[in-house]
Amino acid sequence: MTTNSEGALGGVRVVEMVDEPVEYCGRLLAGLGADVIKLEPTGGAPSRAEGPYAEGRQGDRDASLHFWHFNVGKRSAVIDDDEMVGRLCRSADVVIHCLRPGPAAARGLDHQSLAAGNPGLVSCAITPFGQTGPWRDFVADDLVLMALGGSMAACGYGADDPPLACWGDQAWLTAATYAALAILGALEYRARTGGGQLIDVSAHQAAASMTEWHVMTYLCTGSPMARFRHPTVTARDGKQVAALIPDFLGPHVFERFVGLLEADGVAGPLSDPAFGDPRHRARNYGELMAATQRLAGRHDGEELFRLGQEAGLPWGVIRAPDEVLDDRHLQARGHFVEMAGVTHAGAPFVADASPFRFLRPPPRLGEHTDEVLAELEGREQRTPAQP
Amino acid sequence: MVDGAGPMALQGLRVLDFCRLGFGSQATLILGCLGAEVIRVESTTRPDPIRVMPPFVPDPGEVGEGFGGATLANAQKARSPNRGGIFYKYNTGGKRSIAVDARHPDGLGLLRRLVAISDVVTESFAPGTMARWGLGYETLCQLRPDVIYVSMCGYGHTGPDSHYLTMGPTAQALTGLTHLVGLPDREPAGWSFSYLDHVGGYLGAVAVLMALAHRRRTGVGQHVDVSQLEPATALAGALLLDRTVNGRSARRPGFPPGNRRGGAPQGVYRAAGEDRWVVISCSTEAHWAAFVASAGNPSWAEDERFATLADRVKHAEDLDSHVEAWTRTRDRYEVMHLLQRAGVPAGAVQDAADRLERDEQLSARGHFTPLVNSEVGELSLEGVPFTMSVSPPHTGGAIRRGPPCLDEDAHFVLRDLLGLEDQEVAGLRAGGALR
Repeated sequence: MTTNSEGALGGVRVVEMVDEPVEYCGRLLAGLGADVIKLEPTGGAPSRAEGPYAEGRQGDRDASLHFWHFNVGKRSAVIDDDEMVGRLCRSADVVIHCLRPGPAAARGLDHQSLAAGNPGLVSCAITPFGQTGPWRDFVADDLVLMALGGSMAACGYGADDPPLACWGDQAWLTAATYAALAILGALEYRARTGGGQLIDVSAHQAAASMTEWHVMTYLCTGSPMARFRHPTVTARDGKQVAALIPDFLGPHVFERFVGLLEADGVAGPLSDPAFGDPRHRARNYGELMAATQRLAGRHDGEELFRLGQEAGLPWGVIRAPDEVLDDRHLQARGHFVEMAGVTHAGAPFVADASPFRFLRPPPRLGEHTDEVLAELEGREQRTPAQP
Repeated sequence: MVDGAGPMALQGLRVLDFCRLGFGSQATLILGCLGAEVIRVESTTRPDPIRVMPPFVPDPGEVGEGFGGATLANAQKARSPNRGGIFYKYNTGGKRSIAVDARHPDGLGLLRRLVAISDVVTESFAPGTMARWGLGYETLCQLRPDVIYVSMCGYGHTGPDSHYLTMGPTAQALTGLTHLVGLPDREPAGWSFSYLDHVGGYLGAVAVLMALAHRRRTGVGQHVDVSQLEPATALAGALLLDRTVNGRSARRPGFPPGNRRGGAPQGVYRAAGEDRWVVISCSTEAHWAAFVASAGNPSWAEDERFATLADRVKHAEDLDSHVEAWTRTRDRYEVMHLLQRAGVPAGAVQDAADRLERDEQLSARGHFTPLVNSEVGELSLEGVPFTMSVSPPHTGGAIRRGPPCLDEDAHFVLRDLLGLEDQEVAGLRAGGALR
C-alpha cells in the first residue's frame, strides 16, 4: 500500500483568522495534512486567554490547554497589518474567517478582493447566522445557538427543570466540522475545474440540523416533542449506565436481554413466555427497566456495560470525557497521540493510506511569523502578484 | 443533472451505499447534497429499521403517531417501508434506492457489477458482514482497484471490542458527551437525541472526501475505518488535556455547570407563556451595560453586588431571579429582538415547530427544502448548513428529489446504469435476486 506521508491535504495552504471554537475546522484540516497558518493579533488569539492552563502557568498565553486542543498541528504568525494579511491570503489555497460581509470588505478581505489575483481561492466564512438573512447581524455565543437551534428545547431533566445546553460549544463545533466538509468539497471542485469560491457556513443552521427525530416528529404528529432524559440504570458503584433494549431491531434483541438476566438470576417475570410477544413487552415496558435495574445493582458500571455488550446489547457506561483515556479499545486503535510530551486525542478515523495525524504540537504565539513571511516573499518573487 | 441546476462539487462521483439507521446515512446524505450520486442498496425482507420505526409519516391532512414507542410491536404496524419519519431525516441528498438480495448468487453478481462502476462504497454493518457476503475490502479492490471503502460502525473494524454495538446514546455515554449535559451535582441529563449519529456521519463524510483528495493525488484508494467513538473525543475541548497535563478529571463536584459559561447574567430564563424560555448571555461589561439599558435601567441593576463582572458571577443566582422577573412577563422573541438590537447575545429557546414556522432566518436561508417522495408527498427536509457560491449544495441532491421509496430506482440502476435488458431484469426478479 502506498503511504502518503504528507496526508491527503499535503501541500494545501490554509490561512485561518477565526476567534470562536471554529478553530476546530483548522484542527481537522491540519490533521488531514494541510499547512494551517493561524493568524493572530499581537496580544494573541482570544482562545489563548481561556483556561484551563497547564499547572503552574496560569495566564501564560502559551499554556492554555483550550488553545492547545483546538490548535494542535497549526503554525502561528502574528500579523496585525491588513495589507500583509491580504497578501498572505491571496497566496493561499483556503482562507477561513468569521467576518460578515461589511467588515470583510472594509478590511479588503472579502472574497472578491482576495480572489482577484487568485481565482482558485476557496474562502470560507463561518458566522453565527450566515452572510444573508434578517438575523445576519445578530450576535451569538454557543448558548444562544443551542437555544435557537433546538437542542436546548430537547434536552433537560423534564418539565420541572430548565432546558439545558451541552457544555463545550457543540453548535460551533458542528459548524466548524461542516466548514471542513464544505472546504473539502470546494477543493474537489477546484481539482476538476480550477475554480475557487466563497463558502458561507451558518452556525445557526448547523445547530438546527443536529436534532435527529425532533423535526420529523413534529411534521408527522403536529406536536413538538417535550424535553426528556434518556433513561439510565444505576450500577453498584453509583455510575449511570445507558442500558438500551432496542426492541425495534428484531426479536433477537429481547432474547439476548433475557438470556443476560437469567444468567444472573434476575429475570423475574421476564422469563414468562408471554414476554416473547412484542405487544406484551410494549405494554409492560416498566418490567424491562425494573429487571435491568436489578441486574445493575449487582455490577459496577464498567463491568455492567461490558456484560451487556458481550450479550450483544448496545450498552454504555456514562463516563466523564477524560475517562475515555482509559478505554482499552481506543488505546489499541492508537487513538491517543503524544506530542512534545503531551497526550492528545488523535485521529477521528483509521486511514492507512493517508493517516490523520498532527505534524506539530500547538504553536507558541508568533512562533512561525518569520518563516511564514519569508515563505510569502519567496512565493511572490517566483509568481509576481497580479494587479 | 437537472435543467437549470448549476455544477455541483461532487458531480460525477458515484457512491454505492449500504448504510442503515442514522450514523452512516448522515454521511452519505452530505455527499448527496454536494452532488454525488448515492445509490442505497436495500432489502425488502430486512428493511432499514428507520424505514418502519415511528414517528410514521401520515397521509396528507392526517396526524401520525409519535415516537412514543420505538418498539417491535410498533415497527410491525408500519403501513409500508416508506413511512418511518426518521428515514426522511437521514436520506436527503437525492439518494436512490434499489433492493438487492446480497445472499442470492445473482444478487451478489449484480452488486459486484455495481461496485465496478462506483467510486465509493459505504456501509454501517457489524465488522465482517460485507466479507461474509463476498464483498470484503479485498474483493472490492479486485472489482474496482481504486475504490474508496468507508465503513462506519460503532467500535470500528479493529481493536479488542470491535464486536461491541453502539447507538447514539451508547456512544454519547462512553465518550463523555452525556456527562456534559446536566445541572451541577445531579446525575447527567444527557441528550434526548442521537447527537453522535450526526457527528459520526460528519466524520464519515470527511473520510470519504479526504480519501478522494488522496486518490486525486496518488490514484490510490483505501479503506477508512470510522467508529462512532473517535469522532467524539475532540468535542470535549480541553477536558482530556486537563487530565493528561494536570491530572484533573471532569468527574468532579460542580461540573458540568449547567448553562453557565463564566458570564452573568447568563443562562435560560422563563418567558411569558407555558414552558417558554429565552437565553440571555452576558459575558462582558458591554453586554451588561446594554442589557441594563434595554431593560429600562431597573433599580436592582444598581446594586453594588452587581457592579463588576466578577461581582455578578459571584451573585449570579440573585441576579438571575431579577432577570427572570423581567423576562417572564415578556414574549421570548420580543426579549430576543430587544436585546439583539442592543448587541446582547440572546435567543428564544425554539422547538421543532418554532424552527419550521417562526424562525425567519431559517426561512430566509431556505434551511428547510420542500421535497417530494412518491408515496408520502411533500415534506420540508434538511440538508447541509452552508452555501457555496459556485457549486451550490442542494438538499434534493443533483436530481432535486426527496428520499427514495424502497426499491424506487431499480429501473434506473438496472437499465440506465448497468444496461440490462428487460428480459434479464425479469429473470433476476423471478429468481429472487431483487428483493
